[in-house]
Amino acid sequence: MKRYDLVVIGAGPSGLSAAIEAASHGLNTIVFDENARPGGQLFKQIHKFFGSKEHKAKIRGIDIGAKLVAEAEEVGAKVVQNATVMGIFPHKDISVMIDGEVYTCKADNIIVATGASENTLAFPGWTLPGVMGAGSAQTQMNLYGVMPGQRILMMGSGNVGLVVGMQLKQVGCELVAVVEAAPRIGGYGVHAAKLARTGVPFYLKHTILRAEGEDHVRKAVIAEVGDDWKPIPGTEKEFDVDTICLAVGLSPMYQLAMTAGCKLVDEPINGGVHPEVDEYGATSVPGVFCTGDLICIEEASSAMVKGRIAGAAAARRAGYLTEEEHAAIHKKYKDSLDQLRQGMFSGKNKGNPNIKTTAEGIPLSDSLLTHGYLKEEEVRNFPGYSHQAGGFHPVVECTQNIPCNPCQDVCPKHCITVGDQITALPTVHPEIECINCGMCVSSCPGQAIFLINEDFEPGYSAIALAYEFLPRPEKGDKGTALDRSGQPVCDAEVVDVRAAKAFDRTVVLTMKVPAEMVNKARFFVPKEAKAE
Amino acid sequence: MSSICDETYHLGEFEPRPDDDTIICRCEEITRGEIRRAIHDGMYTINEVKRFLRVGMGLCQGQSCIKIVRGIIAEELGIPMSEVNVITARSPVRPVPMGVYGNDTFDPKFLGGDEDE
Amino acid sequence: MNKTSDVIVIGAGVVGCSAAYYLAKAGLKVTVLERREIAFGASGRNGTGARQSGRDNRELPLAMFGVQNIWPTLGEELGEDIEYVQNGNMRMGKTEKDLAALQEIVAANRELGLDIRLLTDIKDIRELLPMVADDVICATWCPTDGHANPMRTTLALYKKARALGAKFITNIKVLKLEKVAGQLRRVYTDDGVFEADRVILCAGYGSRKIMRTVGLDVPMLPQLTEAFITEPIPAVTEKYLCAADGSFYAQQQCNGTWLVGGDSNYEIYDANYPREVTFSFSAPRIARFFLEYMPTLAGVKVIRSWSGLLDMCWDGCPVISKVEEVPGLYIGCAFTGHGFGIGPAAGYVLAQMAMDEEPAADLSGLRYDRFRMPSH
Repeated sequence: MKRYDLVVIGAGPSGLSAAIEAASHGLNTIVFDENARPGGQLFKQIHKFFGSKEHKAKIRGIDIGAKLVAEAEEVGAKVVQNATVMGIFPHKDISVMIDGEVYTCKADNIIVATGASENTLAFPGWTLPGVMGAGSAQTQMNLYGVMPGQRILMMGSGNVGLVVGMQLKQVGCELVAVVEAAPRIGGYGVHAAKLARTGVPFYLKHTILRAEGEDHVRKAVIAEVGDDWKPIPGTEKEFDVDTICLAVGLSPMYQLAMTAGCKLVDEPINGGVHPEVDEYGATSVPGVFCTGDLICIEEASSAMVKGRIAGAAAARRAGYLTEEEHAAIHKKYKDSLDQLRQGMFSGKNKGNPNIKTTAEGIPLSDSLLTHGYLKEEEVRNFPGYSHQAGGFHPVVECTQNIPCNPCQDVCPKHCITVGDQITALPTVHPEIECINCGMCVSSCPGQAIFLINEDFEPGYSAIALAYEFLPRPEKGDKGTALDRSGQPVCDAEVVDVRAAKAFDRTVVLTMKVPAEMVNKARFFVPKEAKAE
Repeated sequence: MSSICDETYHLGEFEPRPDDDTIICRCEEITRGEIRRAIHDGMYTINEVKRFLRVGMGLCQGQSCIKIVRGIIAEELGIPMSEVNVITARSPVRPVPMGVYGNDTFDPKFLGGDEDE
Repeated sequence: MNKTSDVIVIGAGVVGCSAAYYLAKAGLKVTVLERREIAFGASGRNGTGARQSGRDNRELPLAMFGVQNIWPTLGEELGEDIEYVQNGNMRMGKTEKDLAALQEIVAANRELGLDIRLLTDIKDIRELLPMVADDVICATWCPTDGHANPMRTTLALYKKARALGAKFITNIKVLKLEKVAGQLRRVYTDDGVFEADRVILCAGYGSRKIMRTVGLDVPMLPQLTEAFITEPIPAVTEKYLCAADGSFYAQQQCNGTWLVGGDSNYEIYDANYPREVTFSFSAPRIARFFLEYMPTLAGVKVIRSWSGLLDMCWDGCPVISKVEEVPGLYIGCAFTGHGFGIGPAAGYVLAQMAMDEEPAADLSGLRYDRFRMPSH
């Protein structure tokens, strides 16, 4: 019977990282993945990722997946797609279905990286066609080129809801509202701000009562919830929609690990029921490791580091690393993971209503947390704000401590710094001259950076912003500028459209607005399209 | 594991709720009301509810509904959800045609793939 | 908690729940002690057969009593659909050895008046089961056999017994039995001492450790066995199917799923695994055996497999017996993998004996002490 030093189950960011780490130390490694394409959830993530260079920040998810697969192949790990592992049995027998055959092999070590699945909500009408997981909607759009619907209600304001909401808008769907039961927006403020400035309203402390329709969703009814999370009669609101997307959290897919006999624990902070693991990812079954979202729902950046940790642990157990070698490698990844787990969105802080200021002591924007946008006067409180006469200078509207620093890396002049603490707020240094290269604007995964020229023309200012909608506007196009809340504030004219290769498909659009609008206008809508 | 061991413990009168006809387990078409009723009839653990109603025993093997079912049990019994177990995951964790399932091989095509193609 | 009752039942499988139901129905105060949860053992894992054919003649009278007097009305009595279907059992063979085994079954079962026939013409077999494989040469056919949903049956018995006042305590471990002044009286558990004048012991293989505390033993072995279930498909047949060599049993349930089980012949060699474990090769082997008889079902998808523990008796027959030397003790165990079909009836006769009534079926061949008899 064929035996491997390591079998990895799941070719997402954590599984591939685990395989790369292990194979690079010499383990005979094979990765089984049930999807047709490698990358796990990455292959449908068309947005740019947060993090730092080592976590492949500012790269789009799809491209991260491809990079990881290439790396895995380089170090000799075999990645098999369309390979569905059916179960893990005693003595580390693994049965996998590939191409109409069941292949049974053995492993000395197993790393389970099966990821997570979407939670669902059972409300009256939830079985109607048109109610779907946000992830399913994303699959339809980004893998199959199908629009999930025309008018869509998004349930849930975590990063999944916000990111998918943005992508729905990008394919041309109308996003009528983002609804959230909690009193605060769950995801990153910069993701919410992207939606808010296009005019999408947020309904916090609201839940869905029912979906209506005979053969398909025609209407969604939501209501405000009280402090007991129960709907308050009389607060119902109706939306004519054909699609309701559910982005109400993810749960670890522990099933396969359970067939291996791994002990499970129920820890809401990690996403619910999942295999119990130590700091190396080792489970209660010797030689079976778990990693990625399976052990804690986090961003892909953390998943990759967790995969590295498990891969190194498997290499140690298989005898390819000495104790000292392993200790050094582990420490490197542990430190990296600790960095990512700082800030107000880390597991321990997420949703904590007692966090009222940033790590720097600046009051958080309530407006951002409840409506999805910063108030004009609030922007000035943050170190990313700058005001300067003559020439372009960056305004970084990044006001929450999230683990991300590409703005620091890409600025050739070092106008923007984050520092060693990756969750620190970016600081703009107006004394250093900005050359208006647009790299910060295009690289910011939160699209929170604007290049401002207050004295563009007499009476007019220019604002360069990240733009990822089609059709691509052209220089000279006229349109309307929207403020951070999506309200039209003035006429605007496109004065520059840049699409450098280094911008990686993000367009840096510069619009001209009346000078008094320079701190208000944050989005451009071409004349033909109407604002929502 | 449910802390309620005395299955003669009574939960009081079953009170119907307006959302009782909402389907919870889509595979087996089991409603919230059926699950609540079963709990009131003494099915105090996830396994008893599952075995009585087939909840979570369908094609998706509880992937979509079990978290909700656990929530309903916790609510009816007045215990934290962490005290309600999950159902045991079983191989095959994805549906496999019987003819494929029954013919396992140690020497699959993909290992010697290059010559075949 | 009041720990005194008229009867204590140890084990809440189909036998224990049935006994508790009939006792509670007769107005007795019953306490059921269960180590895990209701229907956790074989009753939540078995193969559904409500079968008479192919049974040893020592247990056949009880099986026939059950099919005639209990199964047809049980669901109605309990107010639940227990999915009982009485549409016959077909045991098929492909070899001369299979044929000889089937001939022996028919000859023996007919002695007790069971309607069982031997079919040796493929045309006759095809008439009953059109999609059967070409190389089947023989089959027994017993039209009064059937199948039911064991989980629903057990939980419906539990639910009704509970509604009639039976007290069920789960997650409790019975440590020992104790006689007081010549009469069984006390049941020691990890949660105190329970008292009753009558104790029915029906805890599967676990019964063995408990009965040893009052100096009794039944020669049985625990054996892990596996089964699997498929996705639902349109109705194919309501008949219960099995192989003469025991390699599989199968039936399509009311919801369209196929439940297939069998003996993969590996497990008995190692009983040291945790009891719920399944192996990479067991259930697939059963699928292979089944498809040798029903090849047209090859595309139907398997969605779950599981294992359960059989209490295999030395001589292949259960013990359903009063224990005169320990007055007040009644034993129902060692069902050897065919307990569900006679489960409700076994609970019924155990309840009868515990109420000092004559059991409704002849149980003389199922005594606890038969293994010691010179004739054995």
